[in-house]
This record gives sequence, structure tokens and C-alpha cells, in this order.
Amino acid sequence: MRVLVVEDEVRLANNVAAALRERCGFAVDCADNGIDGAALTEYQHYDLLLLDLMLPGLDGLSIVRQVRRRKDMTPILILTARDEPAQVIELLNAGADDYLTKPFDLGELLARSKALIRRGKGASQPVLTVGRISLNTVEQTVRCDGNLIDLSPTEYRLFEYLIFRPRAIVSARELLEHLYDYNWQHHSNVIEAHISNLRKKLRAAGEETSIATIRGRGYRLEAPDKQI
Amino acid sequence: MAELICAILFSGVAIGHEMHGRRRAFDVMLRGRADSLLGAVQDADDAEDNVTVDPDELILPKQDAYQVLSPSGRVVGQSSASTPAVLAGLRSSHKSGYFKFRVGEERYRAIHFNGVRVIDREEGKGGLRRPVTVLYAAPTHDLWHETMEAVEFYVVASVLLLGGTAIALVWFLRRRLSPLQELAQIAGRVSAQSWEFTPPAAVLRTSELAPIALSIEELLKGLRQSFERQRQLTGDAAHELKTSIAVLKSSLQLLSMSPRTTLQYETGLEGLLVDTERMEDLTNRMLTLARLEGSPVEQNQVSNLNSVVHVVSERLRPLAELKQVTLEIGFGESCQVALQAEDADVLCSNLILNAVQHSLPAGHVSVVVDSCDGLAKLRITDQGEGIPDAALTHVFNRFYRADRSRSRNSGGAGLGLSICKAIVDRSNGSIQIRSTQDVGTQVTVTLPIVQGI
Repeated sequence: MRVLVVEDEVRLANNVAAALRERCGFAVDCADNGIDGAALTEYQHYDLLLLDLMLPGLDGLSIVRQVRRRKDMTPILILTARDEPAQVIELLNAGADDYLTKPFDLGELLARSKALIRRGKGASQPVLTVGRISLNTVEQTVRCDGNLIDLSPTEYRLFEYLIFRPRAIVSARELLEHLYDYNWQHHSNVIEAHISNLRKKLRAAGEETSIATIRGRGYRLEAPDKQI
Repeated sequence: MAELICAILFSGVAIGHEMHGRRRAFDVMLRGRADSLLGAVQDADDAEDNVTVDPDELILPKQDAYQVLSPSGRVVGQSSASTPAVLAGLRSSHKSGYFKFRVGEERYRAIHFNGVRVIDREEGKGGLRRPVTVLYAAPTHDLWHETMEAVEFYVVASVLLLGGTAIALVWFLRRRLSPLQELAQIAGRVSAQSWEFTPPAAVLRTSELAPIALSIEELLKGLRQSFERQRQLTGDAAHELKTSIAVLKSSLQLLSMSPRTTLQYETGLEGLLVDTERMEDLTNRMLTLARLEGSPVEQNQVSNLNSVVHVVSERLRPLAELKQVTLEIGFGESCQVALQAEDADVLCSNLILNAVQHSLPAGHVSVVVDSCDGLAKLRITDQGEGIPDAALTHVFNRFYRADRSRSRNSGGAGLGLSICKAIVDRSNGSIQIRSTQDVGTQVTVTLPIVQGI
């Protein structure tokens, strides 16, 4: 998952970004002003936008309006030091999904971020299941019939992204965009290598559910019909 | 109420006056009747040459009582219908004049006079002179009754008048006071949450109320503005403090989220220290501003502008060198200004620091102090990127930053220029900023020079 943090207080943005990377395994980009922030949202490769309200250049509310005008459904969480009800109402009506007032609890911010991403992808529970495999987004673990499968952080992130969209074809480009931030050197074959490792580990656990490679188009998580 | 008292007084006076008139008329009537009684005194046909009263010659009201006495005190004649008690009451007076007495429930007013009856008066010669004492009484209940009857008109008339004027007054007052009431109602609705105050048209049409309504409107407008400013300031201050706390809190939570190496802890603590210092600085600036705006100006505090500028420039020179900015100072003659040493220092260091921080590398900052016409002028010019016109009008507003992200990173909270303005205003000076983008900014502070001390 990839998150955009738009916050002019650089120290705060760095802390939030570090927590999101460490605890959730998300790729995070930061912008310290509204103009850059709004420009980054246009790529639409974020799974969550974290916006400060008072920003130089362009304020958070304007960014929310811009994003929603494009019919962009990306979940938006607002960080604000002001919590007058009128302002909160205006924000939510403009299309924001949630808000947190500063100073917030970092743990709460992470939990809300995960919940918003989950909801944005149509899941209501933190545990997602395909066949015999279940993925716990809180613990960041993958189990097959209750037995833990040991995955590297990147493998976990890959699988987490795919399991939200079972049976859909996900291109390597989309995976790259959603799993790595701008500081990452892009190598398209890095995805292929991780997918291959992931397949091996799933098969070793005894799961026939597999990740199919659709040549020239991308990857697909095969899932038995009955579940979900 | 006052009207009621007036009506009662009026009725009282009317009754009193009527009573008085009636009594005088009564007395005259009494006298008249007594005189006619005197006329009825005749010679008695007896040896002692006495007189008597011939009741046949008299036509007097039945309830009246009378007695005619001879000088020797003998009763010459008396009303035959009167009871002995009434006659006794009649005899109670011993000197001539009017008097009153009471028998049972009945009140009497009586006259006592000594008259001389001339009997058998003939042409050309006097008759017989017979002195007698006449006592004559008549009951007064009729008098009282008649008085009341006469006064009744006045009483009824005044009660009607009273009622009529009361109704008219209430109607009139209601009509006249309704704009005032409306005004009070609208003014009563004004509160810190709702500042809406539009004087109704009826109030503005009333010449006595229009100035009041307009001045209330003006007052409320001013109050509202200052209230809004205050609320804005409190909101901004809260925003700054909450953001600072958010940085501290998130840094601490991040550090404690998972086990760290000693190096990570050390870096984290260093960052926290910087954050805390920034918060301390913000708090100090807010307190400085509150002190400047809240406390009265202390008299007799004088600073030498030249020496303050000199000290501050020397202190900031290392920073300027670090930024590769040349700092040039020019002095005219020494001038004293009415500033506390601390305020003068804050003013100069804020302005010079601003100039240095906004300068580009290899830039040039000039600080010039001179004086003319009793005014000291401090001019600070930089060759920085300048301030956009749109921002220029806001630079003295508290917590205003032309470019927030940039100045945040350089540590400002948007209070520096507000503090400078507060300091200058307290000394009756002025501060102006002129700026051209990509050319530079010039700040001019003008302060009155203090002579002597």
C-alpha cells in the first residue's frame, strides 16, 4: 500500500511516514505544501491520502475538493489542529472520510489509516481469506489452515495488495506504483522475483491457490469460487 | 398613581370648598331665620310688661329649634316641636356667635345673638325697646347631604377623566415606546455567539432613538471585530501549540513503538530537544507579545539606538557569515529613544535576523540609523526574495507567514513582526515595510527622540 502525507510541519510528516513504513509496511511519500501535494494525488497511485488542513500554497480542503472532482475514490484522512464542528462538517461533506485532531495518538492514526484502506477496498474486517489462506492486516501475518507462513516484508505487502482484489488482473506497473515510494529505484523485474518467492512459500504450505502470471498483462490471485 | 392622588386631592379640595360655601350660606340662612324669630317677639299682655313669641307669625322648618330669652334669663318662647334634649343643647352656649352641638345622631348648627326688639313703633317716635337673646338651631345633615350632592358631579367627572386619560396614556405610551421595546429586544439578542444587530426601521424613524441605535450598532461592530481578532489569535495560538505538541508526541511514540538501537534513541532525543526548544521559543514569543500588549508603558526608560544596533549586529554577525551575507552598519549622530533596553534589543534583533534569514547567499544587508526633525530612523535593507504584494498587508498579523513551510523550517512562528510592531506602537513610533519581489525588502522604523535624562 502506498500513502501520501501532505504536512508542512516536516518533523511531524517524517514521524508519521516512519510509523506507517515501520508498523504497516506501507510505502510513503511526503509533501510539505499543498501545491506539491495536489500534484502528487493526480497520479492516483495512492491507497490513502493523509492531509494537513492548513497548508502553504493550497489548503487541505481544496485538495479534497480537487481529488473528489476527478471522481478519485482514494480514502482521505485529515489531520487538523482545529476541531470546530462546522469545519469538520465542511470537510466530511467535501469528501474527506475521516479526521484526527492534533496532537493525535500515532497508534490511532495507524489504525484509522488501515481501516480506511481496508474499507476503500471493500473489506470490513482486518482478516482477509482466500481458500485456506488468511491474511491478518493488524498482525501483518499470513496463515494457511492456522499455520504461519513466513513471508518477507515485501512478500507480505505484495500478497496483501493482491488479496484485496482476488481474481482481478493486477499489472506489474500497478504493483510497483502501490508498493514503492519515490525514493525506490524502480526495477520491474523485482516484482517478478518477489512473486516467484511468494508462490514457492504458498505451495510449501500446501495451498493450491496460486498467483497466476498472465503474460503481458500482470498477475492474478486465483481463488476458489465459494469463498469471500 | 400620581394621577390618582391628584384626583383625590382635587375631589378633597372641591368638597372642602363646597362645604365652606354651603356653611356660609347656612349661617346666613340661620341668621335670617333668627331675625324673623326676633320679629315675632311681641308684647305680652301682662303686668310685668314682658314679651312673648307669637308662633303664628312664624313660618319656620319643623325640625329647627329655637328659644328666646329675656335679659333676666326667662324663656320668652321656644319651638314647641323640639325635644328637651335639643333645647338643652341650645342653651349650652353663653356667648353670642355661631356654635354647634349634637343630640344623639343629629348634628345641629346654632346661632346665639342678643337683639333688641322695638315694639309698637309709630310714626315719628320710638317704640318700646325690648332686649332679648335669640338662640336658633337647625340640623346640619341637610347641609352635608347637599354638599355631597353638589360635589358628586366633580367626583364622577374626575374619575371619568382619570380613567379616560389612563387608557389614553397606556395606548399612547405603548405606541410611542414600541420602537424602544423593539430596540431593547434586538439588543438583548446580541451575544458573543450572535452579533447580528440591525436597528428596525421604526427605531430609525424615531428621532430620539436613531442616534442610540446607530451608536449601539457602531459599538457592536467594533466589539465584534476585536472579539473576532481575539478569537482568531487564540485559535492561531492553539493551532501552533497543538502542532508543536503533535510533533513531540509523535516523535516519542515513534521511538517507543519498537526496540531501537542506541544510535536511533540518541538521534531521536536530539530531535526532541530541538522540538522542545522551538516550543519554548514559541511560548516566549507569545508571552512577549502578551506583555507588550497587556501592560502599560513604563516611563523614563531610554535606550541609545546606536549602541543597541551595534550590540545586536555583532551578535548576529557570525550567523550572517554562516549564510555568506554581508552585514553593513551605518550610524548618524547618537540618538536616545523611549524604549526599554530589552524591547530595543528584541526589536533590532528581530528585524536584522529577518533580513539575514531572507537574504540569499552572497547577499547584502544594510542597517542605517539616522535622525532628523526629532525623529530617529532605523532602516534595514536586504536583497532577499522580497514579499509578495498580497502578503505585504498581512506581515504584521500574528502568526502570519508569507511562506509557511519555509519559515517553519527556519524556526519562525509568525510572531516576530507582530512583536516589533507592538514595541514600536508603545513608543508612539511607526514601522513600515516596502518590498519588491526579487529585489529586496526595506523596513523603516521611526521613533521619537528623547532629549536629555
